[in-house]
Amino acid sequence: MSLGEPGGQPAANTLVPAAPVGDDLLIRSRAVTKRFGGLVAVNSVDFDIPRGSIVSLIGPNGAGKTTFFNMITGFYTPTSGEIVFDGRPIVFKQRNRLKSLRPHEVAALGIGRTFQNIRLFGTMTALDNVRLGANVHLKSRWWDAALRTPGMLREEAENRESAMALLRLVNLEDRAHAWARSLPYGDQRRLEIARALATRPKLLLLDEPTAGMNASETRDMTSFIRRLRSELNLTVLLIEHDMRVVMGISDRVTVLDYGTVIAEGTPDEVRRNPKVIEAYLGRGAADT
Amino acid sequence: MDQVIQTFIIGLSNGLIFALVALGYTLVYGIIELINFAHGDLFMIGSMIALAQIAGIWHLSSATSPLVLVGVIVLVIAVTMVITAAINVTIERVAYRPLRNAPKLAPLISAIGMSYVLQNIANLIAGPANKSIDNLFPTTNLLSVFGITTITVTFQQVFVAIVTIPLLIALSWFVDRTRQGRAMRATAQDPDTAGLMGVDVNRTIALTFLIGGALAGAAGVVQILYNNVTVYNLGFRFGLNAFTSAVLGGIGNLNGAVVGALVLGQINAYSDRYLSANWTNAIVFGVLIAVLVFKPTGLLGQQLADRA
Amino acid sequence: MTTLTVKDEDPYGHGIGGWLSHVGEVVFGIPDTYRRELKLHRRRTISLTVLVVLLVTYPVLNSAFLAAFSRNVFPLPLPDDTVVTFMMIFGIMAIGLNIVAGFAGLLDLGYVAFYALGAYTAAFLASSHWDSISIVFLANVTPGFPGIHLPFWIIVPMAILVAGTFGALLGAPTLRLRGDYLAIVTLGFGEIVPVVFRNLADVTFDFHIGPITIAAQHLNLTGGPLGINPIDAPFLPFANLTFNASAGYAPVYLGLFLLLIAILFARNLERSRIGRAWMAIREDELAAEMMGVNTLRTKLLAFALGASFAGVAGSLQASYLGATTSDFFTFSTSILVLIMVILGGIGNIWGVLLGAIALVYVDKTFLPYVGQQLQQIAPTLPNPAQFNFLFFGLILVAMMRFRPEGFLPNRQRAAEFAGAHTQADVEAKVDEIVAVDAVAEVEAAIAEDPSIILDNLGPPPGQAEASGDARAPETIDEERDL
Repeated sequence: MSLGEPGGQPAANTLVPAAPVGDDLLIRSRAVTKRFGGLVAVNSVDFDIPRGSIVSLIGPNGAGKTTFFNMITGFYTPTSGEIVFDGRPIVFKQRNRLKSLRPHEVAALGIGRTFQNIRLFGTMTALDNVRLGANVHLKSRWWDAALRTPGMLREEAENRESAMALLRLVNLEDRAHAWARSLPYGDQRRLEIARALATRPKLLLLDEPTAGMNASETRDMTSFIRRLRSELNLTVLLIEHDMRVVMGISDRVTVLDYGTVIAEGTPDEVRRNPKVIEAYLGRGAADT
Repeated sequence: MDQVIQTFIIGLSNGLIFALVALGYTLVYGIIELINFAHGDLFMIGSMIALAQIAGIWHLSSATSPLVLVGVIVLVIAVTMVITAAINVTIERVAYRPLRNAPKLAPLISAIGMSYVLQNIANLIAGPANKSIDNLFPTTNLLSVFGITTITVTFQQVFVAIVTIPLLIALSWFVDRTRQGRAMRATAQDPDTAGLMGVDVNRTIALTFLIGGALAGAAGVVQILYNNVTVYNLGFRFGLNAFTSAVLGGIGNLNGAVVGALVLGQINAYSDRYLSANWTNAIVFGVLIAVLVFKPTGLLGQQLADRA
Repeated sequence: MTTLTVKDEDPYGHGIGGWLSHVGEVVFGIPDTYRRELKLHRRRTISLTVLVVLLVTYPVLNSAFLAAFSRNVFPLPLPDDTVVTFMMIFGIMAIGLNIVAGFAGLLDLGYVAFYALGAYTAAFLASSHWDSISIVFLANVTPGFPGIHLPFWIIVPMAILVAGTFGALLGAPTLRLRGDYLAIVTLGFGEIVPVVFRNLADVTFDFHIGPITIAAQHLNLTGGPLGINPIDAPFLPFANLTFNASAGYAPVYLGLFLLLIAILFARNLERSRIGRAWMAIREDELAAEMMGVNTLRTKLLAFALGASFAGVAGSLQASYLGATTSDFFTFSTSILVLIMVILGGIGNIWGVLLGAIALVYVDKTFLPYVGQQLQQIAPTLPNPAQFNFLFFGLILVAMMRFRPEGFLPNRQRAAEFAGAHTQADVEAKVDEIVAVDAVAEVEAAIAEDPSIILDNLGPPPGQAEASGDARAPETIDEERDL
């Protein structure tokens, strides 16, 4: 599974978000808590993502990682806390209650994501899946569509081109007209990333992108993620269980356990942190 | 003021009949998340079957002796309940069970089709006009015993209570106390796990339809003896009211269905009396829409999580 | 190096001129498009062609020899001009409901409400109903004649506006409900709207807002149970043609004209960004929302646009019949349109069109024909025309059981019905099992030798490891869908 040659300079195009200005932190979250009834899934988490970095969020199963993702993307509203993305609040107070932007508004701001269990639009073609991702940035309205105005046709042509370019990027160009659910597992994972990229994100959330992959596929995915950062000016937040991936490409790692941050730092720092080892193995193992 | 109380009493009787039908809706929805569109028409079929027995077989009239009357009515209720229960189980087997894995809206559409089938069968057999029976109960005002003449409580209204209340209690006991009732509740919560725990999900669902059907049949008998008239499209109005009752009380919640039905009985009575029967249906629909939009869990809350 | 550049060409030129040339391309490209469709979808193209030819030539065929044949040799179930006109009317509605239920996947059981709104719009704006005023504008009516009289080509956009607005109003608070609840709520609207029309025949009110008084005594707002009649018929001044019920087959062509526009709009919507958004919502609403689709607004658009099609159909119906009353608009009408969509092929424009034509034919011509013949043979048997919904009900049950995607299925919907859900369930279960197994394996390994974890936290190994199994690709035959 090759993803094209690495290297080369980022191309000047409409798919790359503009160079960052202002605040150096792309995501800033403070004291984010999520309670489901009596269960505290995420407990007062402070979490920052510097612009242009690759950050991993790790922790045992059920630690609250996906819940945290879901709050960043607006699917859940935190019970308390604040989340600011690129200077814009995702969570805000309205009439004394905490409200969150709706997921599609968050997507419009520039956060794209993939899912743990791949949620492609199975009976739509790969091309249509990617084209759908661009909807958030398209401007033509329903009457433009009904009348097929020149503006709409132009936009459709551009969209098609961009979508095909993204499919080329993930090496699925020749499967463009295949139904998404007919694609092999690895292709589906890459298609999901292409779809997320179509939303022109500044921040890409990848939920276990290497799940179910063997070593060579994992290596390819890892270098692909690096390219995304360098060529597309993307900031990446990963949830991962494969420690080789985490340690290999992350600039910083945050470890969650039972909804609380138990460690944060560079991969090396985290690897040696006794609390982290204890979280994965239980008490006493740190002494080993 | 007497008007108000009288309307209240009428509303009570209607509400009790609604309750029996509402339970059928809520039981079925609770267990397979299906709005059984055809349930109101099953109720109508029950009233038709009762009418056929009362007028066609037993030739009851106001001249029949009370003892015979009571005996026959009990028999008619039993027979009708058995028949409607059987019909309901058959409908489930034929129209809904094969769609267990289909997209969610398929069984609903099938139920709509079934509703039309039942109506048209009734129309075929009984004709489009109202079918009536003679008034079987004495028309005396029971309250006149207490010297009250301005408010009326009829034998019919008492009869409604006498039949419906024990049935409601019996159902409550069945669902709470018996093994099959527990199976029903478990299947309503989580059919897969219930299956893993040894519950025969198919049989439990069939049982639910059986009970719902039986209750609808009983309600049909009560209805014909209370109103003395039935018609092939009776199911629409009663179905609408019963379903709204179930939603108002919290769909899936048995107590809620009864509470909702009593409320709706009142709404119907007061609307008929003080507005006009022309508007009653629209008002009931309005209540239904309002509940679904503003408080979909109903008054007493749902027993199921809303799997959106 | 893979580039993400976007071509800067503008293939269609600028402005109106560019659009017209594009339209011209499309129109002149029709023969080629037809040839291609014929090759790709042979059966469908041929049957549609036959249908269109039949439809267009039917009036001629009928008057030329079919009618005579039916009279003298053997009675044939021939649809008359009214029936064929209603085929057009219901065709427009079927396409509209297809947008709501087929494209966006929303079950609307009260579609008749918008049909009624369209009809009453025509009734209000093209009749003598408002007899205390007189507004005559470009209509075939002498000035000064009581009532509001606007020409048909203004009525239709008004009906679109009214129906579409009500669609938006009704949809806004309710489209966030889940499927079956939404269905019931729409059913409610389908009942309430005709009831309102039926009962506002005697309205008395008296509002004082500051210096303004709005009052009416016994105002006949909607004509009540008797409805409103007569309603002006559509009129073509150049040809001096009136398209009413006594105008023979001319109204069919008016209907056909509107129908073609409806088909065009629906098709264009389907193949646009909003069409894709509808598909995505139907497939996985949550994922669509996550990908930036404003699901509420997109569903609302489907609902309102679908409603406007019914508005057009209603205005045509009222103008054609020259009268309207709330009796025309029942729940059964909503269900009839739904059956057309389901029978024909939910999501497929041609399918639902075929469904509309077939069902109008069966309901208004074939069943009465059978009834007539049966009457002569066995007068005691019931008349099937009066029990039409017995058949339709059975059709619904049977279709859901055996062919829910309809007879001309939209391929995606067919796939959805054919077990996409069970497939997803299976895949989810497999995920769980794989995850559970993987965890168990790791735990067992660590239990034996805890230092493994430290190895795995180290830097990525340079050597290839045959660790774990690659997930077997599940390649189902790919299907080309151009």
